[in-house]
Amino acid sequence: MTGFLRRRAITSLLPLVAVLLGVFFLARLTGDPANLYLPVSATPEQRQQFIEQNGLDDSVWAQMGDYLWGILHLDFGESLRTGESAATMALRAFPATLQLAFSTMLIAVVGAVIIGSWAAYRPNSIADRISSFLSMTAASVPDFWFAIIGVWIFAVGLGWLPTSGVTGGMASWVLPVATLVIRPLGVLTQVVRGAMVSALSAPYVRLARSKGAGDLRVVTHHALRNAAAPALTVAGDLMVGLVNGAVVVETIFGWPGIGKLMIDSILGRDFAVLQACVLLTAVSIFVLNILIDIGYALLDARVREKVSA
Amino acid sequence: MTAVLEAPSESRVSSQVALWRLLLRDWVATGAALVLAFVALVAAFGPMFVGDEAAQQNLLDANAEPFRLSDGWLNVLGTDALGRSVLARLIVASRTTLSVAVPAVLLSLVIGSLIGMWAGYHRGRRETVVMRIADIILSFPSLLMAVVVLYIFSPSSANLILVLAITRIPIYLRTARAESAELQSRLFVDAARTFGTRSSAIIFRHVLPIVLPTLLTVATLDFCFVMLSESSLSFLGIGIQPPSVSWGLMVAQGRTYLQTAWWLSFFPGLAIVVTTVSATILASWARLATDPAQRWRLTLPRGRRGRRAIRRAAEKALTPEVQ
Amino acid sequence: MLSPPSPRKPLLIAAVLGAALIVSGCTVANSEYVTGGGAGGLRIVLPEEPPTLEACQSSLTSTGVVLRSNITEPLVERDADTGELAPKLATAWEQTSDDTWTFTLRKGVTFTDGTPFDADAAAFTIDRAVNSDLGCEVEGYVFGDTDLDVKAVDATTLTVTTPEPDPILPLRLSFVEMVSTKTSTTEKVRVPIGTGPYEVADWQSGQRLSLEANPNYWGGRPGYQSVNYVWRAEGSVRAAMVTNGEADIATSLAPEDGAGELAVAYRNNETTALRIQADQPPLDDIRVRQAINYVVDRNTLVKTLFENLATPAGELIPEGIVGYNPDEKVWPYDPAKARELVAQAKADGVPVDTQIRLIARTGQFPRIAETIEVIQSELAKAGLNVKIQMMDTNTQLTYQIRPFPEDTGPYLLMIMHGNQAGDAAFTLDQYMLREGYQSSWGTEEFDASIRDAEELKGDERQAAFEKLWPYEQEKVVQYAYIAHMSAILARSASVSYQPDSATGDEMRLAEMSPVS
Repeated sequence: MTGFLRRRAITSLLPLVAVLLGVFFLARLTGDPANLYLPVSATPEQRQQFIEQNGLDDSVWAQMGDYLWGILHLDFGESLRTGESAATMALRAFPATLQLAFSTMLIAVVGAVIIGSWAAYRPNSIADRISSFLSMTAASVPDFWFAIIGVWIFAVGLGWLPTSGVTGGMASWVLPVATLVIRPLGVLTQVVRGAMVSALSAPYVRLARSKGAGDLRVVTHHALRNAAAPALTVAGDLMVGLVNGAVVVETIFGWPGIGKLMIDSILGRDFAVLQACVLLTAVSIFVLNILIDIGYALLDARVREKVSA
Repeated sequence: MTAVLEAPSESRVSSQVALWRLLLRDWVATGAALVLAFVALVAAFGPMFVGDEAAQQNLLDANAEPFRLSDGWLNVLGTDALGRSVLARLIVASRTTLSVAVPAVLLSLVIGSLIGMWAGYHRGRRETVVMRIADIILSFPSLLMAVVVLYIFSPSSANLILVLAITRIPIYLRTARAESAELQSRLFVDAARTFGTRSSAIIFRHVLPIVLPTLLTVATLDFCFVMLSESSLSFLGIGIQPPSVSWGLMVAQGRTYLQTAWWLSFFPGLAIVVTTVSATILASWARLATDPAQRWRLTLPRGRRGRRAIRRAAEKALTPEVQ
Repeated sequence: MLSPPSPRKPLLIAAVLGAALIVSGCTVANSEYVTGGGAGGLRIVLPEEPPTLEACQSSLTSTGVVLRSNITEPLVERDADTGELAPKLATAWEQTSDDTWTFTLRKGVTFTDGTPFDADAAAFTIDRAVNSDLGCEVEGYVFGDTDLDVKAVDATTLTVTTPEPDPILPLRLSFVEMVSTKTSTTEKVRVPIGTGPYEVADWQSGQRLSLEANPNYWGGRPGYQSVNYVWRAEGSVRAAMVTNGEADIATSLAPEDGAGELAVAYRNNETTALRIQADQPPLDDIRVRQAINYVVDRNTLVKTLFENLATPAGELIPEGIVGYNPDEKVWPYDPAKARELVAQAKADGVPVDTQIRLIARTGQFPRIAETIEVIQSELAKAGLNVKIQMMDTNTQLTYQIRPFPEDTGPYLLMIMHGNQAGDAAFTLDQYMLREGYQSSWGTEEFDASIRDAEELKGDERQAAFEKLWPYEQEKVVQYAYIAHMSAILARSASVSYQPDSATGDEMRLAEMSPVS
């Protein structure tokens, strides 16, 4: 296990640098930010001064070198927009996004396993059809619909929940999480159902049944475990999307997360903040992928065991 | 197990005929197929008939409510903020939408699956490299890429397809890799290998048919994701550029009117939902229909008792195969 | 063996990890969420968080709307309704020689850090904002590259000398917000120390900004003890917060955001126009530019898309600004005439088939996308080949501000200009002079008349400015003016406040009070 972790950490380092480099170069293709930060009537000298102050006059390679050197000293640069340290801004925003992501995935996974297994137990039955239809619809409805309509109904209409913000305690979590959970729930339910349908008709499950295992036991102990691998892949990808920031939800509900920060720094050409955000999310995504692979390895071991049995 | 998995090679022709019959037996799947055919026909021929009406602005008749025939049948779904027929625009938009979403999904599906299967089949270093590349794309802010490609170059359809495809490649790549990595250790693949079959042939003949159903399921779900991504690019002004119109653009532009003129974004949103749901239903049906171990489910007679009886019979018939 | 040894392990791991992260995350974030509350205070929801509250950036809209006249104050301020200057930290001012103005400062004013406000502090602030290397927004916006010579004569007397005579120097100085002498001169600061009725109490970045009333304010207690700002990017959510009682004031709303009866529309100083990049063929032909003007149907746009909240425009400044011509002439809508002009130009060999880009900024004003589509469709009817391109702010600004990008081909640019200063000179310098920072075209004669008019004072100045607008429409035609715009805010029934044309740039909290 430790060997595996060490190998993964090392092989992940290079891609991490690649992501950083890519962001660094692409960001600089979007144009220099002087127009946004200098007054409209800035003279050419002022422009030049701004560019020099922010080190944008060096070659991209020199800037890159400076940046990497800074990172090694835990200096991630300063925000052009706010004048704060870029690392502070990214670290401040990230927990809000992580909380949303984890609560959403927890609900989505549990929900999908229950609904998906139930639907798969009798493929093509009415229950299966209805749950499939609902989950497919859920997966394809634009998320801002839920968000905006949710605000009207539950906040403005019924007055049960706050419209937005993070200051309203647990109640303020309901709408953002509900909006976020719908698509992962729909997609995962589909995946679990599909995998379960295959698993339930697989020989070893039939064997378990023929040996007299009860329905519930068959589903939970035998089929579900086999259906876990594809679900894990998809759940992992969905989680990655959430960790990268739920831009729509963060924007509509004023949730101070990393997705909104990234958008703002892209639109504001705030390169240091953008790079800090990407570094943070990229590291988390790499860690997440390692966790997923560990999950695979565990599942795999059991799958192998079973086949040999 | 091996026997079951190798089964699809038997008599192709007869099974295709049977597929049609199977489809017609399943009214939900038939409906889904009809919807998709309808959408395809509308996209192909609709713009020829209502192209001018879709561009015809009439500011004095803006945001007219739907379901009224007094303004002519074209305004039956209401008019938009510029007084254009929502129905006509939906029809014209269907072509743009499909001509962006379908190539984007196909492109990412083909590239992602091929590389993923190759990586999963060979495992080892090749697999590691490919997976790390997938990690790079996944953790890269896709919005930044979109902004660069679409602002700095141009917001053309081709660039849009490119951006959407690249961001979705890792999804197929990882799915295909995971499944083919598991398959390559199976007995029948081993057997093919010991007979000296080339690896590309093994991938196409043995791995692909098994991985494909899953990939197609993912692809149909992704179809709507791509349409909605295109829509969210429109919020930033880098999606489809007016006066061209796509469902995603209509949804994005109509969003601000959700309270005052819900039909502006509801109908295009509905079009996206209906199309995707139909595609998903058909895909999940096809998954059952092409899987010999599952196919019997579709041939069941209607009614509960009969179905249960047949299932028991089928299970009994299949059980002895287990080693 | 069908049941494996440890079936729940991965699930367990995942659950533990998830729970741990949620718990840790919660504690991090919750400690921030719980503190402070808006109970009893005024709650305002803005479209975006101020990036900084640095006083010398106050001409940035999102900074100025929170900062100006609330946390910091200028020497003089402009009354948005009358256009006259009113005393603030200066009680009197006069032009003591051609190039020098003398200000008499208010006595007994202290900054919130306890340091007194005197001529030294004023000189310090002006030097810092205008003559330093900080690169302040105010410096460029108001003063161009002019350096000022500032002297503190005694504690309450300040003289400001300019290289050239400047008849509107006090107006320009109304943009400089006074800060304590303890403020850094080498870098910008996020939270300023000012003399205003409020001071910053707590700023939870990303979430909330709280102000508390300044107990030692020279002008008396404001209506609210505390003010909480939050920000939501989505207009309909801002409106819903007010209708739902979560906020008292919401700004920058669109008509369709649903504020209902709580919506208050008011004229802002913004005017929309198409700038025609007239140095590029076919736009270098005046007939093509006239044709563009003939097909912009301003009356219908105002009646429909702008919901009668705007008025058709024939000049770039609205009523209330010095230099506004009340005899405003709006181009008539005449597509036939436009087609004829384009055809004539084509007959003379002007390449009218060249693709012209119609560039606009996403979210520039409510219904920008719809407006652009209407204009594009009309231009196409006139026989021009026009393609829409929406851009984000930074990309659009490269087209709006000199130096313009090269090899762009012809383009039309949607601009929205708000003259915050109240004098046409600010507009003319940038938008009308041939070399203006936001101008691509002009004539030598027009430049000369602008320069002459800007030297004048009083009624002469007004009369000279008035003549410039018809001249621009007849001889220059760099712009197709569209409309003088309005803004909407939502105001809860419990707050008494009347927005004015400057509210978008400067929302004075002292003017707000609870309805008794």
